[in-house]
Amino acid sequence: MIMGLIKPTSGDIKLFDSSLAQNRNEIMRKIGCIIEKPDFYTYLTAHENLRLFARAHQLQYTEQQYKDLYELVGLSGREKGKVKTYSHGMKQRLGLAQALLHAPEIIILDEPNTGLDPQGIIDLRQLITKLNAERGMTVLFSSHILSEVQEICTSMIVINKGKTIAQGSVADLLSSESLHVHLEVVQVDKCKLALNQSEWKDLYQMDPNKSVDHFTLKMSKREIPLLIRYLTAQDIDIVGIDYRNQLEEYFLKITHS
Amino acid sequence: MKHLLILIFCLASFYSKADADAKQIIKELNRKFYALNDYSANIFMKFDIPGVKMNSMNGKVFFRKPNRFRIRTKGIFFLPKQNPMQNISNMFLDTSAYTTVISGYEVVDNRKCAIINMIPLKNETDLILGKFWVDEANPLIIKSQITTKNNGTIETQNYFGDMVQYALPSKIVIHIEINKMKMPKMMAMDLKKKSVDKSKVNLKEKGSIELNFSGYKINTKFPDTVFTEKEE
Amino acid sequence: MKEFIAIFKNELYKTAKRPRTYIGFGVILFICLTLQAAFYNDGKEILSFFTNQIDNLFNVHGNVLNGNLICFLLLQTLIVQMPLLVALVTGDSVSGETASGTIRFLLATPASRSKIILAKWLSGLCYTLLLLGLLGFMALVVSKWIFGSGDLMALNSEALTIIRGDDINWRWAAAFVIAFLSLAVVASLGQMISCFIDNSITPIVSVMAIIIIFTIIGMFDLPSFDLIRPLLFTTHMISWKSLFEDPIPFSDIYFSCIVLIIHIVAFLSISIFYFNRKDILT
Repeated sequence: MIMGLIKPTSGDIKLFDSSLAQNRNEIMRKIGCIIEKPDFYTYLTAHENLRLFARAHQLQYTEQQYKDLYELVGLSGREKGKVKTYSHGMKQRLGLAQALLHAPEIIILDEPNTGLDPQGIIDLRQLITKLNAERGMTVLFSSHILSEVQEICTSMIVINKGKTIAQGSVADLLSSESLHVHLEVVQVDKCKLALNQSEWKDLYQMDPNKSVDHFTLKMSKREIPLLIRYLTAQDIDIVGIDYRNQLEEYFLKITHS
Repeated sequence: MKHLLILIFCLASFYSKADADAKQIIKELNRKFYALNDYSANIFMKFDIPGVKMNSMNGKVFFRKPNRFRIRTKGIFFLPKQNPMQNISNMFLDTSAYTTVISGYEVVDNRKCAIINMIPLKNETDLILGKFWVDEANPLIIKSQITTKNNGTIETQNYFGDMVQYALPSKIVIHIEINKMKMPKMMAMDLKKKSVDKSKVNLKEKGSIELNFSGYKINTKFPDTVFTEKEE
Repeated sequence: MKEFIAIFKNELYKTAKRPRTYIGFGVILFICLTLQAAFYNDGKEILSFFTNQIDNLFNVHGNVLNGNLICFLLLQTLIVQMPLLVALVTGDSVSGETASGTIRFLLATPASRSKIILAKWLSGLCYTLLLLGLLGFMALVVSKWIFGSGDLMALNSEALTIIRGDDINWRWAAAFVIAFLSLAVVASLGQMISCFIDNSITPIVSVMAIIIIFTIIGMFDLPSFDLIRPLLFTTHMISWKSLFEDPIPFSDIYFSCIVLIIHIVAFLSISIFYFNRKDILT
């Protein structure tokens, strides 16, 4: 919708303090994007594709500037190859080059990891971090892979079926300081008693969705060994323990419901 | 019986007289044709052929005995296959190939003309019947109607100016009768044309070609190459 | 305006770089050269097929089989095939980009959708013009070089018209303008369908289907079709031929030009209107 691919049924989008509907051209000059997968004219070379894009933005790029850009995205030496010979990773890099070409203030990366191999994912992550750190660009990164979001992003919005369900800093939403720990024990009543006498007495609850021998506790990652030691000292047999952060917990709840 | 014999005698003497008259007229005519070895002239052609739209055009005409004929002009034009300018003098000059008889008299273009029928004597000739309206006073072919095996009937009317001593007309009007042309729309790619009433397609239509001559040059012995030049 | 010129240049560049663009040029070269060779070898026989009605009565004098006649016959033959070649490029202009996803690349530029469609349309017209230019060169210039010049014996269903050689060049110029208008209708139609469809092949096939159906309706010699014939744009696509009639039916030609222009404007307007409202979901 920001890129104008889908028309809003109602309302308006505001970017850089102005309406997208009214100032689309100006706003588009400040935005770069890769939407899902970077599609280029496969019968043209990477360089020709970028030159088309530069011309559409009325940019006067020198060959050196192009070279620097290929260097930045890791396409040096391959820019004269036809795009149809490119791997998905290379296309993704070219997509980034295209998104960066007009030195935008915001880059929108929609699922940029799709189809990338592990090394490609690492390279892309490093590049995005570098762009933010060195060029001060804002990156709008959309992904289903929370670990990637956690690695790259500072703030996040979680949208489910078109509605915002969580919003805040990644540190808060994906923090290991506020984990949901799931505990399964043999002696349920004894465990209940032990927890009531511990520092976690207000932070646990019996898991309503599972059998009664399940407890859920909110605690930081550091506290998990302390909890295990404490319960073992109370002669309580632990059958299982696992943990999730807030968002994972949220998604799981949705999935189960 | 007596009356019958008298009638036969009268008819025989009449036809004998008519035959003699025809021969005399043709002799006079051939004298003019003999005198002509070649000629060149300016020609202006006007076409009124059904189904053919063609602007009038100028050119130069060349003729050499017995039947070498050429119109030198820039462009396309049609002439009947039975070309009167090319064939008539040749037809008349070969007196052994035909017999003639006067079948009547008629005033054409204010001239009293004898109607001479020309009947071929040889089977292999293309001619079936020639009918010529010849001015009696000054033998000139004023009108002709020639029917041939290959090219049907063609009718011409000649108008004379100052070249009467060579029997060369200043104007020839060739009358033709032609089937209305109709090319299938698919072949002609004529999507715009409305469909035509099929009953009107094969109707015969009359047309004409008018040939105007001027600046005759007689017996100038121009080179033969004019007849072999490539047409433009 | 600079922005529009930039995306227009991009469209031209893409058109020039696409292999499919050259299919049209190849086809025209091949057909022209093949037919010219055929006319060179068997021209008289082919010609008598058309003129057999007059051949019985008349001797036809002059160089009938000249460059002008070859051009006339080539144009008459190819005007049926040319729409396919035009649709091959313009029918794919939007749908091809939608199918391959590059439409997003286009929409990520500051240019508005209307400008994108206009630029694509103009580049389609440029391609059409070049295609027609090649046809003109091959059919007229090369044919005149091979067969010489002279009067044109133009054939239509009602008369055989002889156009004098010195009165023909302006008719060719006007004929090619009308032929261009006709093909511009095809280009605009192709682009319009291309806006509605998200794959490459359907618009091309649809354009050809429309042209074939309309042409067949136009060709059938049935009085009941006389009413709808003037409403079909294919009827007017052939109006260049009227320039080779005597007298020239100028009012018919102007009417055809107006009908063709209305079609172009309508198809282009619908393209812009629809594309501006289209969600790109691919």
